Amino acid sequence: MSAANEQASRFDPGFAREFYALENGEYAKLCMQCGLCAVTCASREFMDLPPRKLFKLVQAGDKEAVLQSQTPWLCTSCMTCTVRCPRGIPIIDVMHGLKYFLIQQGSKAPVALMSKIFAENMLRRGRVFELALTNSFFLKAYGPVGAIPIALKMRSVGQPMLLKGRLPLKPPKKIKGLDQVHKIVKKATEVMKREGHQDGV
Amino acid sequence: MAYSFYPGCSMEATGKAYLVSLEAVSHALGLELKEIPDWNCCGATVSANAIGDLPQLAMTARNLALAEPAGNDIVVGCSSCYLNMAWANEKFKTDARFRSQVSEALGAAGLKYEGGLRVRHLIDVLVNDIGLDNLKARTIKPLAGMKIACYSGCQTVRAIRRRDFDNVEYPVMLSRIVEALGATPVPFPAAARCCGGSQQFTRVELIHELTGYVLETAAKNGAEAIVTPCPMCHMNTDVYQAEINRVKGTNYYLPVFFLTQLIGLAFDLKPKDLGFSFNVVSPDKLFAKHNIKN
Ligand code: SF4
Ligand code: SF4
Repeated sequence: MSAANEQASRFDPGFAREFYALENGEYAKLCMQCGLCAVTCASREFMDLPPRKLFKLVQAGDKEAVLQSQTPWLCTSCMTCTVRCPRGIPIIDVMHGLKYFLIQQGSKAPVALMSKIFAENMLRRGRVFELALTNSFFLKAYGPVGAIPIALKMRSVGQPMLLKGRLPLKPPKKIKGLDQVHKIVKKATEVMKREGHQDGV
Repeated sequence: MAYSFYPGCSMEATGKAYLVSLEAVSHALGLELKEIPDWNCCGATVSANAIGDLPQLAMTARNLALAEPAGNDIVVGCSSCYLNMAWANEKFKTDARFRSQVSEALGAAGLKYEGGLRVRHLIDVLVNDIGLDNLKARTIKPLAGMKIACYSGCQTVRAIRRRDFDNVEYPVMLSRIVEALGATPVPFPAAARCCGGSQQFTRVELIHELTGYVLETAAKNGAEAIVTPCPMCHMNTDVYQAEINRVKGTNYYLPVFFLTQLIGLAFDLKPKDLGFSFNVVSPDKLFAKHNIKN
């Protein structure tokens, strides 16, 4: 294969369509490459691709580059880009859709793990139990042995949290309508899958 | 004035000082806050990644459905909860497709929301319902001479996308409240900058940089303390301050208050009712300087 062909084979227009079908994914179509989000983003110095480039690569169908990008995992949901984008693209929602997709694909990114643990924790009682959230994240991310040096390194944070009573040791009570919450999530998931994800763009 | 109140999970744990001081302050102001019965977690900004946007917003809509019979505006203090709840409500009212999808999901649990409520941030209620004049009139011990960086945070002012209650670039409401209490807001260009949010476990360098910038800007502009309405901003600026000092070789000493703690001080409420025991950066030196008994 010539270098040019190899280059061309990286781009898969089918991927753009696949992306637009993600929840909120269709907004990526609207990006006009003005670059405002790139200069705006709170995490830009940490990102490999600013949102602008990510959307460019989506449009071009560069599946590999999009799926490898750390950008969605660095987004802090600060919404600065979202209120500034001249095309009205709710960039944080696009990031949610992309992260959901990557998590379904089995992503091992720390934020993927955190999101799953948070959702499980929340759905167990209907409210979040922060101490358990912290513990299960560190145990799952680093293993029981690996978590120790991290815990030691972070003691200037963890110790005062515990000493000052900011991490209650007791879990919150299960809400009465936990079953309702589960039914709502189940039905909404069905609706999300049934209706495709286009958000009327 | 009666409101439905959504505390959210963080007010019961990491942001306990917020809840305690809000209770004291609302009592003093005659604000009647009735907790939404049996409310559930809104999912913060991370669970949508795991369960999808629609399921998360539908779950949040359960709280709207539970609050609707009382008919009162909902007050939310936590910025992340406000983001989810106000956005779910806004979308429910303006997007017919979303409305029918969410109604179907609520229906599966035998619930219904008509879209009759307003979701308000605490700052909005303080400024627009209580009024700055009232806050000033109720101030018994003005915080005269206290220089404060008013840190609204990023999501607080941007939650409802463009239909904001404050300026999304240069928020001013929080500084107006602080002024009404007699304190001096310092110029603070980082007022709506992100602190790194919930990346404390997943990318701590982000917190060092972003929160570091917030602390640096506050210190550079002569602030003696920071005030915020957001539990996440509070956590990062207060709890992580020592860690940031360690990593960056800085030496910040900036007590961080929840908005309601500061209001309580100006109202001369008992410091023990304002939850200062939860503050990690001790406010004692600052209090001594300004003759406040803790
Ligand atoms: S601000 Fe909006 S239109 Fe401009 S590059 Fe970013 S996403 Fe595209
Ligand atoms: S919402 Fe995400 S992508 Fe947008 S500016 Fe904030 S961190 Fe960057």
